[in-house]
Amino acid sequence: MRQQDFDIVIVGGGGAGLRAAIGAAEAAKEQGASQRIAMLSKVYPMRSHTVAAEGGAAAVTSSDDTHQAHFDDTVSGGDWLVEQGVVDYFVHHAYQELVQMERWGCPWSRKDDGQVQVRRFGGMKTARTWFAADKTGFHMLHTLFQTSLKYPEIERFDEYFVLDLAVHEGAVIGVIALQIATGELTLLRAKAVILATGGAGRLFRFNTNAGIVTGDGMAMAYRHGVALRDMEFVQYHPTGLPGSGILITEACRGEGGILLNKDGYRYLQDYGLGPETPLGQPENKYMELGPRDKLSQAFWQEQQAGRTGKFGDSDVVYLDLRHLGEKTILERLPFICELAKSYINVDPVKEPIPIRPAVHYTMGGIETNPQCETSITGLYAAGECASVGLHGANRLGSNSLTELLVFGRLAGEQASRRAAHTEWADSALLHAQAERQQATLARLCDGNRSGENWVDLKHAMVQAMESGCGIYRTEESMAQALAQIRKLRARYREIRVNDASKIFNTELLECLELGCGLDIAEASCLGALERRESRGAHQRLDEGMQTRDDVNYLKHSQVFYQGEAPARLHWQEVDVRFSAPAERAYGDAGKGDKV
Amino acid sequence: MNKTISVKRYVPDNAAESYWQAFELPVDDSTSLLDALNHIKEQLDSTLSYRWSCRMAICGSCGVMVNGIPKLGCKTFLRDYDGEIRIEPLAHFPVQRDLVVDMEIFLEHLAAVKPYLIDDDPVKPFDPQAPETYRQSPAQLARYKQFANCINCGLCYSACPQFGLNPEFRGPAAIALAHRYNQDSRDHGKKQRMAELNRHEGVWSCTFVGFCSKVCPKHVDPAAAVNQGKVEAAKHTLIALFKGDEMNGEGKAHE
Amino acid sequence: MNKTSSQRLPPLKRNWWLKHRFFKLYMLREATVLPLVFFLLCLMAGMVALVQGADSWQGWVGFMGSPVVLALNLLALAASLYHAATFFVLFPRVMPLRIAGRSLPDNMIVAGQWAGVVVVALLFFWLLGRA
Repeated sequence: MRQQDFDIVIVGGGGAGLRAAIGAAEAAKEQGASQRIAMLSKVYPMRSHTVAAEGGAAAVTSSDDTHQAHFDDTVSGGDWLVEQGVVDYFVHHAYQELVQMERWGCPWSRKDDGQVQVRRFGGMKTARTWFAADKTGFHMLHTLFQTSLKYPEIERFDEYFVLDLAVHEGAVIGVIALQIATGELTLLRAKAVILATGGAGRLFRFNTNAGIVTGDGMAMAYRHGVALRDMEFVQYHPTGLPGSGILITEACRGEGGILLNKDGYRYLQDYGLGPETPLGQPENKYMELGPRDKLSQAFWQEQQAGRTGKFGDSDVVYLDLRHLGEKTILERLPFICELAKSYINVDPVKEPIPIRPAVHYTMGGIETNPQCETSITGLYAAGECASVGLHGANRLGSNSLTELLVFGRLAGEQASRRAAHTEWADSALLHAQAERQQATLARLCDGNRSGENWVDLKHAMVQAMESGCGIYRTEESMAQALAQIRKLRARYREIRVNDASKIFNTELLECLELGCGLDIAEASCLGALERRESRGAHQRLDEGMQTRDDVNYLKHSQVFYQGEAPARLHWQEVDVRFSAPAERAYGDAGKGDKV
Repeated sequence: MNKTISVKRYVPDNAAESYWQAFELPVDDSTSLLDALNHIKEQLDSTLSYRWSCRMAICGSCGVMVNGIPKLGCKTFLRDYDGEIRIEPLAHFPVQRDLVVDMEIFLEHLAAVKPYLIDDDPVKPFDPQAPETYRQSPAQLARYKQFANCINCGLCYSACPQFGLNPEFRGPAAIALAHRYNQDSRDHGKKQRMAELNRHEGVWSCTFVGFCSKVCPKHVDPAAAVNQGKVEAAKHTLIALFKGDEMNGEGKAHE
Repeated sequence: MNKTSSQRLPPLKRNWWLKHRFFKLYMLREATVLPLVFFLLCLMAGMVALVQGADSWQGWVGFMGSPVVLALNLLALAASLYHAATFFVLFPRVMPLRIAGRSLPDNMIVAGQWAGVVVVALLFFWLLGRA
């Protein structure tokens, strides 16, 4: 088995991974150290799901905005389940990271005077979202990828699937990876490892996410004893295309788009987001610029009341942009026009876009401390796979693109500092773990035994998650989902890959990803079932649990892996050092807030 | 309604030669080629390998040849095809397996043109304590924006006969990316990139066939970029000739 | 980067351009040079004939009047117009023109080029008429 030694290994080549790699390279330079950095990704970096982010990245920018306001929006947006020290660090480092992106060439949209333009976004008190038309994630990812090419010390392993972390005595010592093109295993010995593997939206049937968003990194850390935190909080984006779930950015509403039910009525005013704002004059934190959880919940209520329309098999409401005029739509939202025309044959300039909520973002993830380090020494996590504590029970749109910069860099710097005073572990330890992986793979692909089919299990998993852990949840639905996921985990042990080829065996990858998905799905269901209150994206219909319960549940859920046995849940205190929990209000109801 | 698509298969550890396999599957008005491939993988033959990810024409993974024309699988709809539908791996790249091609040479070409902002002697260096952006007017942004929209899908390389004839040609996407930075008012790296662009395997291999721009799913128009690059390269050569100095080709003033 | 692209495909076959209409049109554009070469040779022969004297010149005029030569030169005219048409369409993409920061629409540039052709042609006929 091939072994290579690196100071820092980064798993994942999306926004957070690339920013971590560059951050580590710069930190090494600053320390006067020469460090080798490996970046592994199961796809070419520019395919990573960061590419699909549309709307923008938030940072306090204009002179009438304050760090305090961004902090307050984020804390209340997350329904107080956020680590306030982390949010404080985040809002103070957001602007410099976006400027750094600009200095690296990111084509941010501009005002006539040449300054960077900002737009409104849901749940944000002030316009503070930087954007590059409606392809912000795409431009950020490509800018980061292209900038990373300047650093010869960053060695890429494109299309390598990381199978496992190697951990010895509570410290990470490397990773074991499969070269997809050849099916060969590679060992990378490391002094520090950063996970930047993205979210787990593919646990659900109907989602805005790319096929690769399967939660592999979360499962890897979880299986080694790191807690998955707040996994019950899954964000439904209110505006996905019917059928595919393809994302229609929140920027549509930031620019002034409105949401209508089948009667042409702006129904959000009935859900605590009103009064109705005049057409073409969007107002922050009112109506369509409410937070995502509230908007998705309002859709569900309209659906129950029979006021949604139909598009194909889907119940839909309508996103109307027509009053913005062709020029603005084409200039600010060109990608949206392209998507709506291609995928549902609707021209947003002429017709309202039928939309419905779709799973979009995993608020929870690998628990880290405020410096991005996990409970395993030398193992860091950043971006959507991590739960550094920024998003709490509901993420605000445009905070996550900034998150992957702020915490990607921080993780990279931390890893570099650690690597500077750490030695490599004994290779024999890695080889022993790698041999176990080899045996597992051999068993998966053993043509001589019959076994479970990954397609059946995958469909059963996404079905269970959707019906059990949707926009609104009940004790019964969640208990059923959890029981089903546990059954599927048991069946997964007998799974078998039909494809015996070693070369680019994507069926094998599907099976491995499914295994990861099932493990973290259990954590997600367990957290949801045990959280007997409603908060942010976790809304229960059960009697007595329809409101927030700070006495019992102002706590992070932590789920711990127990092998084949059922996972275990603990509760963890929340950092509320700056802002005591208050009512979370939008529209006129939120007017009196200090927020 | 059912349609049949034929896929060119190649699994090197099973058979040395490629072969065609036909699949019949249900389609409706919204079925994309990628949906069809996913249906095949899940329901008909799990050993079919292909790349895909975002399914919304932005990640650039799922390029294939559809009846001989390079296309993104997720942006190709079966409703638009009546007769035969023949799917092959992207042309001009070595095939690894089934519809998966080796993209390494493409990545090498991208990296070779220094596709990042070069400003070695900035008026104000970046300072995290007092971060300050460059200024760039919407008009300056418009000069390069189109060329910054490339998703690196590689369709243009499959459309380019010059790349097919000589894989050392840097090719449409790489040169378009170089041009994107050369046109960026913040960049001062043009003369560094000229070393790559102003040579036979750079812009001068292009004969303006123009098919690259026809197949580009993001309307980047790489052919325009390459040929604008020729004008720049010619200027560079002329200036160097008059000044007798290779290094004085920098054309752009601080704007 | 620990992979090298050592794999190389065999180069394209000579008939690669027969596979698509697009490539055939491209080859047609490139092939317009052949009748144009013929036209240029005719012109050069004419100039040589002019220097050599009246007999020679009369011979050249006769040669130019023969049906085959006329047909070939008509072909050259058609080819040059086709080439011009393709070139004019490509021009704004190679040399985008901007006036006061705003780029001129492509079809305006194309129309401008054709207007130029018409002006030059009229000038030519006017000169011819005076001679």
